[in-house]
Amino acid sequence: MTTTQTQARPFVRNRLIRDSISRATYDAMKCDPSIYLFGEGCEPKLHYDAPYILEEFPNRVTTLPISEDGNVNFCVGASLLGLKPVYDAISADFLYRAMDSICNTAAKLGFVRGQEPTIVIRAEFLTGGPTTGQRPEALFTHIPGLRVAVPSTPRDAYGLMRTALETPGVTLLFEDREIQDGEFEEDDLYLGEPVHFGDASIRRYGERGGPLVLTYGVMRQVVERALEGFERPRVIDLRSLYPIDWKRLDWCMSRHFQVLIVEPDIPYGGIGAEIVAQLAERFPATQFRRLGAKRETVSANPVAHAGLLPTQEAILDALIF
Amino acid sequence: MTPSSSNVQETMLTIRLLEDRLQEMALQGRGADWHFNKGQEAISVGVCAALRDTDYVATHHRSIAHAVAKGVPLRPLLKELLTGRAGEMHMNFPEQRFMFSWQLVGTCIPVAAGMAWAVKDYLKTDDIIVVFHGDAATANGQWHEGMNLAAVQQLPILFVCENNHIAGNVRPEHYQPVATVSERVVGYGIETALVDGNDVELVQAAAERIVEWVRKEQRPYFLECDTTRLGRHKQGMGDLRSKEEMKTLALRDPLRNIMVAPERWAAIQEEIDGIIDEMEVS
Repeated sequence: MTTTQTQARPFVRNRLIRDSISRATYDAMKCDPSIYLFGEGCEPKLHYDAPYILEEFPNRVTTLPISEDGNVNFCVGASLLGLKPVYDAISADFLYRAMDSICNTAAKLGFVRGQEPTIVIRAEFLTGGPTTGQRPEALFTHIPGLRVAVPSTPRDAYGLMRTALETPGVTLLFEDREIQDGEFEEDDLYLGEPVHFGDASIRRYGERGGPLVLTYGVMRQVVERALEGFERPRVIDLRSLYPIDWKRLDWCMSRHFQVLIVEPDIPYGGIGAEIVAQLAERFPATQFRRLGAKRETVSANPVAHAGLLPTQEAILDALIF
Repeated sequence: MTPSSSNVQETMLTIRLLEDRLQEMALQGRGADWHFNKGQEAISVGVCAALRDTDYVATHHRSIAHAVAKGVPLRPLLKELLTGRAGEMHMNFPEQRFMFSWQLVGTCIPVAAGMAWAVKDYLKTDDIIVVFHGDAATANGQWHEGMNLAAVQQLPILFVCENNHIAGNVRPEHYQPVATVSERVVGYGIETALVDGNDVELVQAAAERIVEWVRKEQRPYFLECDTTRLGRHKQGMGDLRSKEEMKTLALRDPLRNIMVAPERWAAIQEEIDGIIDEMEVS
């Protein structure tokens, strides 16, 4: 009954990943008095998401106007005087409004100053429509000075947020609303360990010589669902899109000769394209396939929206090399 | 050290002589596409003379005057200009609290607001932020977003508009629908003053009053300085203004009546030439 209701009501949100990012923020704030939270509607949002942060650190939470570009520049200015700002942009689509301040201001600080700031910009992939359901993560991996992560489990979300706050750098941390709360394994729910950027996660070991499936975000769950009962494929969740865990991927290439990349973003000019290009240069005998979202404007219709992503059937079909 | 009222004229002269020498190099192909402050020196020097050493400055791409005025020594400044990787439009000297030139027009405004927020609510000192920008920046969204942030958050920040009535070669009718920039500021509930930006004594007097007001009230203030850009926008771009117009503007040159002893003049020139010659050889 609960499941049926969730499917019928798209506004019923998955919240375990969001909760774990809030928990990581709270734990980091307890250790580090220089972490401050900024965002559009920051206080009301925390009221619902993590009231314990508001209660314990009321002076370290600041609500900013709907001026995304100015807000990121504002956070950059604060970071120059020692703060570690966390900027909550709410929707990943809104980051397009802040491309200048992210790419031209924040990303350049480490270079022009010779010292990286610690700034976290977090945003959520929504499920709304043409300008409220896009996945802009690949764009940011193109810019020197930024690191980009899309965790697919509460454990990884916690660990990546802690690392983002504890190691200097400008991080874009994306929360994928389409990842289903009901499908985590017990181990995925453990919060406490940092996850480093450039460290992918082996989800299934598979068999030597079997196909290698590389995925991230919501597609990690879809891949695991599709491969239930199959022993041969090795599955890796990239988690960190920049930097990529090339060391682990290169190691896998000596054991697997067929690689399938399943990404939730549009494959054209995307993460999968970069991975294939680099691995193909080093391992020319490997066969590659890619699956990703259709290169279409996101529909406001929930059925059409869901139809943009690769299906379990498409994943199984693609595995027959 | 921030210049005191007794040496503002020497500081203005230093900027002029430094930029003249750099211009000579640029036109000979030995420099970069620098943006000079000729005609606008009184603003940065007059305002910085009213600051404490611990106050912060942020500025735009036309940055050399502000760095000198804030007390950045010539040697590290020239090192950055001639050999640095950040260049004139992204340089910073934290020791003098010169917190970056920001190349993209308008960026410095919200960044300065963020700094002011950090000073007030994190460092909790009574230092203030001064941010310089041009009149053309007021057409940019970042200027408006930054003004709004500073006003809403009630931040200790002094906005100094160097209104030279030109953006590159573009006249204000293309970017400014009102007679003064201050008219735009009224909508943010920020108090404003208008001063002759080519009279260093007037600028300094206004800045001294306003800086203390900002420090005490912990609220933003806007100082519009009417000025003249007596050189081209940058070295790689021509100037469409006529000789007659330039002659008329030059009548307002802030350095036209300065009183600096000839031996000091020569000493400043010698210092600049010495550092540049040494850097060019090495």
